[in-house]
Amino acid sequence: MLGGHPVIRQLTEKSNVELINSLRANIQAAQQQHAEEDPKTQQQPRYLTWTKQQDDTLYIPSTDFGYGLSEERSAYDITVKLFYLPGIPASRRCAHTREAIDLVLKELHVDSIDLLIVSFPGILFDADDDSEVEDEEGGSSDTGSEEDDFDSLLQTWRTLEGLHEQGMIAQLGVAEFGSERLARFLPHTKVKPSVDQINLKDCCVVPKSLILYAKQERIQLLTHNDCNDILPVGTTRELLGPGARGAGILASAPDADDGIQGDVAPQWVVKYTAVVKDRGVVENKGYFALADVGSCVKP
Amino acid sequence: MGLLALGTALDWPEAQKRADQVRKWGIEQLLANWHRAKGKERNALLWGDEVEYLVVAVDDEAKKARLSLAQAEILKSLAEDEASWKTGTRPQSPSNEHDGEEPPHFHPEFGRFMLEATPGKPWGIDFKDLLKVESNMKWRREVARAHMAPNEHPITLTTFPRLGTKDDYIQPYYPPSGPALRSQFVPDEIANPHIRFPTLAANIRSRRGRKVELNVPVYKDTNTPSPFKDPTVNYDLHLWPEDDDVRNGAAKDDHVYMDAMAFGMGSCCLQITFQAKNITEGRKLYDQLSPLGPILLALTAATPIYKGFLVDTDVRWNQISGAVDDRTREELGEFVRDSPVSLGMPFANPSQPLKNNRWRIPKSRYASNSTYISQDARLRKEYLDPDLIIDEDIKKRLMEDGMDDLLATHFAHLFIRDPLVIFSEDLEELDLNKADHFENLQSTNWQHMRFKPPPPDKDDIGWRVEFRSMEIQMTDFENAAFSIFIVLVTRAILTYDLNFYIPIPRTTENMETAHARNAIHDRKFYFRKDPFSPRRPNHHSSSGSNLSSTTSSAANSPPPSPTLAPVESEYELMAIADIINGSADGSFPGLIPIVESYLDSVNVDVETRCSLASYLDLIRKRANGTLWTGAKWIREFVASHPDYKQDSVVSEQICYDLVKAVDEMSVNEGRNGTVGWELLKGKAS
Repeated sequence: MLGGHPVIRQLTEKSNVELINSLRANIQAAQQQHAEEDPKTQQQPRYLTWTKQQDDTLYIPSTDFGYGLSEERSAYDITVKLFYLPGIPASRRCAHTREAIDLVLKELHVDSIDLLIVSFPGILFDADDDSEVEDEEGGSSDTGSEEDDFDSLLQTWRTLEGLHEQGMIAQLGVAEFGSERLARFLPHTKVKPSVDQINLKDCCVVPKSLILYAKQERIQLLTHNDCNDILPVGTTRELLGPGARGAGILASAPDADDGIQGDVAPQWVVKYTAVVKDRGVVENKGYFALADVGSCVKP
Repeated sequence: MGLLALGTALDWPEAQKRADQVRKWGIEQLLANWHRAKGKERNALLWGDEVEYLVVAVDDEAKKARLSLAQAEILKSLAEDEASWKTGTRPQSPSNEHDGEEPPHFHPEFGRFMLEATPGKPWGIDFKDLLKVESNMKWRREVARAHMAPNEHPITLTTFPRLGTKDDYIQPYYPPSGPALRSQFVPDEIANPHIRFPTLAANIRSRRGRKVELNVPVYKDTNTPSPFKDPTVNYDLHLWPEDDDVRNGAAKDDHVYMDAMAFGMGSCCLQITFQAKNITEGRKLYDQLSPLGPILLALTAATPIYKGFLVDTDVRWNQISGAVDDRTREELGEFVRDSPVSLGMPFANPSQPLKNNRWRIPKSRYASNSTYISQDARLRKEYLDPDLIIDEDIKKRLMEDGMDDLLATHFAHLFIRDPLVIFSEDLEELDLNKADHFENLQSTNWQHMRFKPPPPDKDDIGWRVEFRSMEIQMTDFENAAFSIFIVLVTRAILTYDLNFYIPIPRTTENMETAHARNAIHDRKFYFRKDPFSPRRPNHHSSSGSNLSSTTSSAANSPPPSPTLAPVESEYELMAIADIINGSADGSFPGLIPIVESYLDSVNVDVETRCSLASYLDLIRKRANGTLWTGAKWIREFVASHPDYKQDSVVSEQICYDLVKAVDEMSVNEGRNGTVGWELLKGKAS
């Protein structure tokens, strides 16, 4: 699924509205454009006309990867944020990372990105929990229902370090790490994260421990406003489903032949942003999301 | 104000004879410069703010605050310091806070009681730069203060509350009524003595044929006489021919009357200039910021007092407009008798044929702007000002040389004015590598937006746009907040390709609306309903830089029809709270949410985002009424002062206490319930 076009959302609370609106608008635009161009097409199912099948992958909508950026590469800061989604085995992340980065590079017509931030499922920074008191008590700071085990987190990081070595990614970053988790994580890394991206409802309660630790380790604390569970299964089903708001990719009933049968399992979402450095203008921003669809979808 | 060259300034009848030559040469300089600079590309965003101060001397014994005419001495002492900073013979700052920052620049202004300060070098868009703005403004104030006498203070009130009263409101004291201003309220010594300023004032008066005339409606309190007849007006002066003005009805009932340039140009403003990446982007920003001018004027309202009286308006704008209005009666469309005008009240008669002037001109040289200049597909003909006056010959000359219609129209409009200050030395030879004649007209068109070509001698400067409507705020926190807000709005305009176009006459009306007392909450302003550009059909790219709107119509509506909806359906009257914060029903997103969405799209560190949040919070709360405007705070200060008698009079005692309070506010900024918390912090929750 592709979603270009930065979208303004009404509310400023943490949300995935931007992603969902962006995907939906992009899908609708493609449908509409196709309907205008060729209103008589009777091909069934209809989505075949505005999507593209390539090997095992269905591009929704179809894309031929744009024109890229309007100025030379060095004028931009390209930041990519990759969301690994909950319930997807960490073993797939190596491949997922490559897929996601490849799509972004192709879309922007560049061969490297400046910063890749990865967001692991279940890791949720909570300003109140990251206090020194908690630390003394040995309480866990970054709690989450589906917290990754530490080893798979490191395993994923090895993949990223590899891409860094190849020169594809200049800097790596993590999201939502508290100071405790950072302290546990850093000794195991060859390439240290240069960024920790945190979401703060109220900026002024950044835990001092985190500020000090980040400063000491020269990790930049950046802010974000993304939803942790950015693309839930239900939302994906609705987006692709047969309803009035859906793309009509999925079949309308278990026995209908108007779409693809089976389950939907969103795997990852990637967000990319190209900012013209010395003018602070976001020239290009968009999302890609990958979901497995079909009757033999692995959990 | 621009560079102050020295020379022999021509008096009015002489200057008028050379006006055509200056215009002609100005246009040739513009063309030469435009040819040189129109291809400039990829200039970085650089921007600068200008903060203006009143220098107020406080006399604690007599409990009086007076304007100090010490500009020259202060600037001299500042310049010596700046020189020694540069040679490194003096530490820049007692603390290390401003290490690596260039020392600020100070400039003279029209009023001899004013100072202007700008950052030592322009700001960029590195978000860390944004953090330096407020501390730099504070630094400027400290530096300015350090070069003043111990009892003098740099005060950022827009106007001095008792400028032009009968008492000794200036020090040193000079009696009113000199040959240049011929004012019955202020002396010529009130103006910067540089020849440019008295000449400017005198030539405006001469061209106009009488003194400038400012009538501001008085605020009618319970004990204010009705009708209110300005008690400070002297009808028995016979020193200058212009002393007849008041006998001919210049001073109106129920108004505070003022008669000199100093009452307008003596106001302090907060102006922001941006460098665009190229001429195209500059033209776009000029257009898109224009409808925001009146909104920001109302948001920054801080001018409720003139000449010792509470007035019924909240902002300075129209007073400056009137203070430099050089239009003749004929240009104003007023009836002109063959016999002297003193025979009776003039009245409007627009159908009378023109005898001496070329046009009737609807706006003062200082007014809301009248042109859109962007070559933008979204710019509809209906948005343009139907009353725009242009010099057709000048437009023809510009277009002959290849300038497009819109830009040629813009300059042909600015050049309907006469140059006001002409130095005879400059008329000997036309130098196409300079811009002095062009700037002569350009810089005396004080519209709320200004489109600035690069200076011909500076290769590294690009096309710039100046946003000029905001009122100076009493504290640097507020001044930084509004400056940075506008900068972020420009970034959002470019990122989201925002569309704020409304017809220019609606912006002109909005500018008037912004004057009303408490306009920020009591009035509504024309604003475009949907600031997003329609999503363009996208054949090649799924992303691209085009953007879409969240309004459900954009996602679900049928394809756009080739015929556009009527212009009137594109905008509506909106409350400022909705324009800034978004409407409750979600139909308008709000400038602050748009800016926040922009900030969510770029990498901002935690510390910066916190500071930015505090600035945006100030503006959000000003708009929704949680925090007061400066104008409201000053009104309340006066109303609750024991010396106030509910008669609109702002006494010397009140003025003294007000200045002291404002000075304290500039330091404590309303923290912990200190003075000014109502407009800065709000009630502690």
